[in-house]
Amino acid sequence: MAEMVNLTIDGHEVAVPRGTTILEAAKTIGSEVPHYCYHPGMSSPAMCRLCLVEVEGAPKPMPGCVTTVMEGQVVNTQSEQALSNRRGVLEFYLVNHPLDCPICDMSGECNLQDYVHDEGREHGRGREPKRIFGRDDFGGDVLFYGDRCVMCTRCVRFMSEVEQDHRLTVVERGNRSVIDTFYDEGLDGTNWHGNIVDICPVGALVSKDFLHKARAWDLTHTPSVCTSCSQGCNIDLHTRDNLVQRIKPRENLDVNAWWICDHGRHNYEWMNRGDRLEAPVMRSDSGSQAMGWGDALRALLEKSDGGGSVKAVASAMSSNEDLGALKALVDAMGGGEILYRSARAEDEVPLRGFPLLARRKDLSANSTAADLIGANRVGADDGTGGLDEVSNHDGIVLVLNDDLADQKEDFGNNASLFVYLGTHDSPGAAKADLVLPVTSHAEGEGTFTNHERRVQRFAKALDAPGMARPAWLVLGALVAEKGEGPAPRSAADAFAAMSSSVAAFAGITWDDLGTRGAVLNESVSVTGD
Amino acid sequence: MEPISGIPAIVAMALKNLGIFTLVILVVAYATYAERRVSAFIQDRRGPNRVGPFGLLQPIADGIKNILKEETLPGTASRFFFILAPILVLVPSLVTFAVIPIAAPLPTRWGVVDMIIADVPIGILYVLAFSSLAVYGVVLGGWASNNKYAFLGGLRASAQMVSYEVALGLSLIAVLMLAGNVTLTEMVWQQQQLGMWFAFPLSLAFILFVISAFAETNRLPFDMPEAESELVTGYHTEYSAMKFSAFMISEFGHMVTASALMATIFLGGWDLPGTWDNAFWYNGQLISGFAENGTPIAAQPAVWKTLLTFGGFAAKTGFFLLVYIWIRWTLPRFRYDQVMALGWKVMLPTSLGYVMLVAMTILVLDELGVQYGFLFGLVLTAVSGAATLSFMFFLDRGRTIAGAGAQRTQKVEVKTTPTAVVSGRAEPAPAGD
Amino acid sequence: MAISVKLMHRPEPESTSYLRAALSGMALTFKHMVNPTKVTQQYPEEMTDLSPRWRGTHVMEQHADGRPKCVACGLCPTVCPANCIRLVGGEDDQGNRYPIVYEIDEFRCIFCGMCQEVCPVEAIHVGRHFENAEYTRDRFVYDLDRLMEQDHPSTLLWDPSDPSSE
Repeated sequence: MAEMVNLTIDGHEVAVPRGTTILEAAKTIGSEVPHYCYHPGMSSPAMCRLCLVEVEGAPKPMPGCVTTVMEGQVVNTQSEQALSNRRGVLEFYLVNHPLDCPICDMSGECNLQDYVHDEGREHGRGREPKRIFGRDDFGGDVLFYGDRCVMCTRCVRFMSEVEQDHRLTVVERGNRSVIDTFYDEGLDGTNWHGNIVDICPVGALVSKDFLHKARAWDLTHTPSVCTSCSQGCNIDLHTRDNLVQRIKPRENLDVNAWWICDHGRHNYEWMNRGDRLEAPVMRSDSGSQAMGWGDALRALLEKSDGGGSVKAVASAMSSNEDLGALKALVDAMGGGEILYRSARAEDEVPLRGFPLLARRKDLSANSTAADLIGANRVGADDGTGGLDEVSNHDGIVLVLNDDLADQKEDFGNNASLFVYLGTHDSPGAAKADLVLPVTSHAEGEGTFTNHERRVQRFAKALDAPGMARPAWLVLGALVAEKGEGPAPRSAADAFAAMSSSVAAFAGITWDDLGTRGAVLNESVSVTGD
Repeated sequence: MEPISGIPAIVAMALKNLGIFTLVILVVAYATYAERRVSAFIQDRRGPNRVGPFGLLQPIADGIKNILKEETLPGTASRFFFILAPILVLVPSLVTFAVIPIAAPLPTRWGVVDMIIADVPIGILYVLAFSSLAVYGVVLGGWASNNKYAFLGGLRASAQMVSYEVALGLSLIAVLMLAGNVTLTEMVWQQQQLGMWFAFPLSLAFILFVISAFAETNRLPFDMPEAESELVTGYHTEYSAMKFSAFMISEFGHMVTASALMATIFLGGWDLPGTWDNAFWYNGQLISGFAENGTPIAAQPAVWKTLLTFGGFAAKTGFFLLVYIWIRWTLPRFRYDQVMALGWKVMLPTSLGYVMLVAMTILVLDELGVQYGFLFGLVLTAVSGAATLSFMFFLDRGRTIAGAGAQRTQKVEVKTTPTAVVSGRAEPAPAGD
Repeated sequence: MAISVKLMHRPEPESTSYLRAALSGMALTFKHMVNPTKVTQQYPEEMTDLSPRWRGTHVMEQHADGRPKCVACGLCPTVCPANCIRLVGGEDDQGNRYPIVYEIDEFRCIFCGMCQEVCPVEAIHVGRHFENAEYTRDRFVYDLDRLMEQDHPSTLLWDPSDPSSE
């Protein structure tokens, strides 16, 4: 424990470790000092001049983002001096910031908008025309609206300090200063530049992918976990009209801090897939027949009796609960082999400024859990092949969430019972006796286990189509019908069932996971922060 | 002048048939227009004024609409009677017109033509017979619809028509006593002879007849069978398109016929003031009256006389039509018990008493040797006037038809402070008178 | 506490008269029958005077070159209490933000006029118009072209010379 310093902020006694800035100290009493250039993940140049606070005894206002606390200090963030200072600074920003909020994608989540609403002047006094830079394509996913820039240089510092790839700089001086790229090199080829859109406090840097797509206030934010690699970055799914509109990072200092990679950021269209399975279907030579869940599960149980040995194909994209329920079902059916396939990238893509974070080689979200339940990885590094044995298996074949995209239509031809649980149909499921619709990652609740065996929760962001149900619910019900314990009613039940049956998950409970996850086989007495 | 005969008589008859019924249908059509127009005027509106000049083509537009509309047949209706009913109700309302003389006889090259389709000797009996028939159509329509509202409407119609037919017939007795004949041409002639229209010497009969005629035609304030606030639209609830139209035409046909009857029986028919237009077939001769010594004076029929008297007849009929419409848009509908009470408790005894009064007066006048003529009429007018005034007096003052606000039992005193209950049991309220 | 009862002063039975009442009623109706002043308004020829606060079906203002003034800011669908505006923003070939889809369901609309009030670019307006008959229901979902075609004037609540009502 570092040495604690006692000070007074806005009349509240506060004790914080030595070296804390006033701005961070103020956060502990719930007072957010307006700021632009300061970002907890980067250095503070103290150049936006917005976080100036009144420190008693100091001759002039002090920048809260770089002034560290001192014993006995008395800080006023809401005094007349601090407020008039901020009002003045904000007016200066509006000298050149265009009031194009109606067409600005940042509108609704813009710091300048909020600050001016809270503390700015009601009417501008400016008479001179504003400077005009127009729009610049920075390459990659980033568009730059120079007029809106407040010159906080967060983007420049992110590229130089966090990604450590100097792509951006400030050119010109005074009110002509503007962010620019070197020799039109742009941001192409960098893997983390999406974050500068997130950290831009105004609408100067906007995402091309999200351009004019939705208004910030229309979006529902749902905490989730990125599925694009085994890093398990914490993200928010921003949804509207039951569609994922974009992915934003969610702060978790243990995993990804404030950042996510561009690969994960733009890998969401699959969640919006329209061609979904919506009802359980029984397939036979005479054709397909849709039915209710009750009939489907009864038919499955009927056929599974004496069906022979089980070969299951799991997916490393399935949640812990799904995999645990699959394992339990395979055991209940008399045991068998569980396989999974997982794509691997050639290299990791590290974020140099935050070594914990990298785009991992393992491009599946949950292959750790698949390994932990005893599944064997098969196939090539592009996630294909390896299923020849299963394809010709003459017992029971279960396929969970693997879309069999590379398989031919005779997959499972010899199986006594071939059950395909998936989100969408595929040629490989042509011979399936039962096709059962399950929810996708965004439509259900559950947990993933990342590469460092950290179990993290994700929430339900979208409504599932038709009769699609979470796989753990379907598989858990079957397990219960086989007489192996009660059917799970929630993801927490399913997780509990798995933690009691899979040794690696023993001792960890749903409530332990919190917002930051819990690492397996570690002390789990302290949760969350 | 000789009456027309032979082939020309048949041609004339055909022409009269065609002309008069065309005219009646036309008048019926424009009565609907007048109804809408007058009602609009009464309510300070404009009424139909879109189709043609002043909306004059509106009845034609309505007709086209009703013909083109889809005919609906309720699934549970009795199909045969359902279709029969509008026919049954339409025909009697029109054929009654056959016995009504509409103008003075018309002289032509082939002889004198009576301006009446059929001067049947049974005259007024024919009228009563056919007007009684109309109720069958209404009852049948209400019953065949298999709809409780329609059925109730039909029942009301039958009860009401039966009730008022009594008063209607009895009020006609007085007319028959005075006219001495049942044919309508004779009645017109007798009014010419009397020197005054029967409305004056038989004023109470006139009033009773008008009221009964309103009830017979189911017009407000007697439109119980189609009281839309109670019975949707009563017996023709289930009817649509042309079948509904048939009911409407018959209602207005009844109105026109009743108006023409009232004009003929009580306002002298086609007779106009003065003796110049008097004309009557007397022993095969067209006479305009009798000289002092009893010799008939030959009438001088002329085309202009025919036209003028037709104008008079049309004006009188039109007047009654207007009264029909006018009253409809003024008076509210009676309650059903009020209708029945008025019919049986007021109209029937009054008309009976009046028949006796008129009979006695005529007897006394005959005994006194007063000649049938103007003096005869004057005495009767005085007697009838007295009877009418006393009838009015007794009818008035809430004795027969009283509004809801004028119930005798309405005398309730509301105490603003409740009185203390002493014995634990309230005193029985004094019974209302 | 005294209970007050309003007593209806109705005439006593002895002082009522059906005949006289009926005759005076007929006199009254006759007076109206011959009264030449009529209250009917000859609607298609004589138009009603709309209140200055009248808010009818919408009009989309356009630039001189025929582009809609709308910039797809999303404020009107946000403020709309009836949730009747559907808006999908996009970028046109000149790089301007514009509505790719702008639909107002005039059946759902409650004509509160808040869309007009909230519009930062004075693009959408409620109109001085009420004759909206159509043959099908879906014709009442006005799309962008339809809104720009509307040729009726916009409401008097909005003064073009003082667009932001200052």
